[in-house]
Amino acid sequence: MYITDLYSISPQKTFDNSLFDGNVEVFHGNKYYAIEPDYTDLIPRGLLRRMGKAVRIGIGAGMPLIEKQNDIEGIIIGTATGGLDDCIKFLNQIVEYDEGTLTPTNFVQSTPNSIGGHLALMSKNTGYNNTHMGIGTAFESTILDALLLFEEGEVSKLLIGNVEENSPHNFNIDEFAGHFKAEEILSSELLGSNTEGSVCGEGANMFVVSTNKENAICELVDVHQFTYPTSCNIEERATQFLEKNDISLNDLDSLMLGFCGDLRTDFWYTDVMSAFPETTVYSYKNLVGEYPTASGFATWLASNILDGKKIPKEIIYRDAKRAPQNILIYNNYLGTQHGFILLKKV
Amino acid sequence: MKKVFVTGMGVISAIGNNTAENLTHLRNGKTGIAKAKYVRSNYAQTHPFAEVKSSTEDLKSRLNLKTTKGLTRTDYIAFTALKEAVENSQLTLKEISSENTAFISASTIGGMCMTDQLYEDANLISSGSEFVESYPGSTHALKIAKEYHLSGVVNTINTACSSSANAIMLGAKLIKSGRATRAIVGGTDSLGKFSINGFNALQILSNDHCAPFDENRKGLNLGEGAAYLILESEEIVGTKKTYAEILGYGNSNDAFHPSSLSEDAVGIVECISKALKSASINPDEVDYINAHGTATGNNDITELTGINKVFSGFPPFNSTKSYTGHTLGAAGAIEAVYSILSINNNELFSSLNCNTPIDKFNQLPIKEHINANVKTVLSNSFGFGGNCTSLIIRES
Repeated sequence: MYITDLYSISPQKTFDNSLFDGNVEVFHGNKYYAIEPDYTDLIPRGLLRRMGKAVRIGIGAGMPLIEKQNDIEGIIIGTATGGLDDCIKFLNQIVEYDEGTLTPTNFVQSTPNSIGGHLALMSKNTGYNNTHMGIGTAFESTILDALLLFEEGEVSKLLIGNVEENSPHNFNIDEFAGHFKAEEILSSELLGSNTEGSVCGEGANMFVVSTNKENAICELVDVHQFTYPTSCNIEERATQFLEKNDISLNDLDSLMLGFCGDLRTDFWYTDVMSAFPETTVYSYKNLVGEYPTASGFATWLASNILDGKKIPKEIIYRDAKRAPQNILIYNNYLGTQHGFILLKKV
Repeated sequence: MKKVFVTGMGVISAIGNNTAENLTHLRNGKTGIAKAKYVRSNYAQTHPFAEVKSSTEDLKSRLNLKTTKGLTRTDYIAFTALKEAVENSQLTLKEISSENTAFISASTIGGMCMTDQLYEDANLISSGSEFVESYPGSTHALKIAKEYHLSGVVNTINTACSSSANAIMLGAKLIKSGRATRAIVGGTDSLGKFSINGFNALQILSNDHCAPFDENRKGLNLGEGAAYLILESEEIVGTKKTYAEILGYGNSNDAFHPSSLSEDAVGIVECISKALKSASINPDEVDYINAHGTATGNNDITELTGINKVFSGFPPFNSTKSYTGHTLGAAGAIEAVYSILSINNNELFSSLNCNTPIDKFNQLPIKEHINANVKTVLSNSFGFGGNCTSLIIRES
């Protein structure tokens, strides 16, 4: 399938593509927040006020694409937690009012499928609609779902994407679980930090995918996901995945790897990097932070590279001086869930 | 496209801790909705619930898991149904952990059944409970993946109340496409203050036993449970016992309102029609409909509107939520198991508490347990966010 349009809201200025003009934002500390566009023309003011961040950035990234295309046949979203902040707001009401009379808005928005539901509602799209929330491979599952739909031959154009919010409450919970760095560092130093933990990012990345090559930005060739591998078979998995898709080791010129500065898990990426020594390696979490569906941003970034956008020097981790034709994205979340996404120049 | 067969099932709900116990209750018309014993909520005093009739400790002690740190009631319920399903299908550990075995689960509440702990952890009142990594709805799937050494696709769907119907659909599609030869599919949810207060805030939580398809229905009862089905490709099924075939599925969005269905049942008509088309059957081949039938004012009349638009005359239908309550993310899978029980035993279970048919259609659901020829079943699941899914299950 082909990516024919895309939109990103992230901690970088991606919604207007000015990231590619060399304007890379640098963050201090362990919370990276999205730079959001003006939603005035997109979302009615009353609706916007009641929207939690996950729903807002999901709609903010998805609706411009739907409005432009007008013939989207289905919507598939991947999100680990959806509107967790709405969820906790509702929870706080439960406790503060001792289960009294509560307003349901936060409850309804807290379900992860409310992003896909709102997109369908706002665009009157009655087609296929699904929400994957398998944490670290939820975005990979949206791609798989789209591939299966296209193989059935009933539809030819879909909106797929990932959404994750960095809210105070999910930060608190994940901080207890030891996900974040104790020290405060600059995002430009994240990848070499070599301490435990990463930083909390967020974003919504949306894609129009089509079976039709016309106006294609790049080809989204295939996806693969797996859980709890042993470190010795990661290289084998990658090689098999490439072979299945008829990409020889020589053909593969670029890797995009999810280095997040956490010494407990970055070795996975180093292993893959050494397995393909002739490749250029790009990073992305030094731009947007770590979050379960960050491979959605990697897909947005890699698509733009294949489309010929000027590559920010901040993401070149190893330069093999090869013109990008095929990019293998490898992302894992907490070393537990792993995904490959293969993109190809058209 | 390869055929997809069900070779194993496991279920736990308010009417039993395994498939046999569930079947006995369905045959005897005996509901599991009652005064709650385990869930901690003020509403436990005023509203009935469909609780699994075991304490979390009892569920845990029956499982013998390698690790139990951070496991919640949602997880134990899931493990219980999953264990029955894999034993029923006589899967070896090697088959379960094969790269060709996918695991597609579903949940809406997940670890948020630990409502008080989540409140304390999220608001920094605690110093971090053992459940800090247990709240996301897909945590149960990762725990299961670890326990059983799953190495294929592991995924969790959350489309609210249609979640596990979509899990069954996706598993079947992976097999049909050849991307997996086996899929373990289903869903799990347990009761908690979060969902109870959510549905109460929406004013659709009944303080009486739910009465699906009754003109005077007052809303739903929340329940808990889990069900898993083992799906296998015709390529590998061999001489193994099969319970049914997953023949078709349809998924749509009603695109009308965040928490209610459109009067003209747009999404329902679309998902049922797509399911029939994907199964390549005519509406008159459907012998029975396991309805979504939540007993809310909005759902039941809209569901009948949709059925009426697709079918000429109403096939026999019931809502087994009158036994299990609404088990949210587990509902589609539990109801798929019940549909298969109807097919395997050629019997239809009575729908409880419906005395006065909805005025507009004058259609009563199945009122008593009957023997009937059941070859093909339509099972409906509709959720918040407009998510609608229908499955077609056929005798094998």
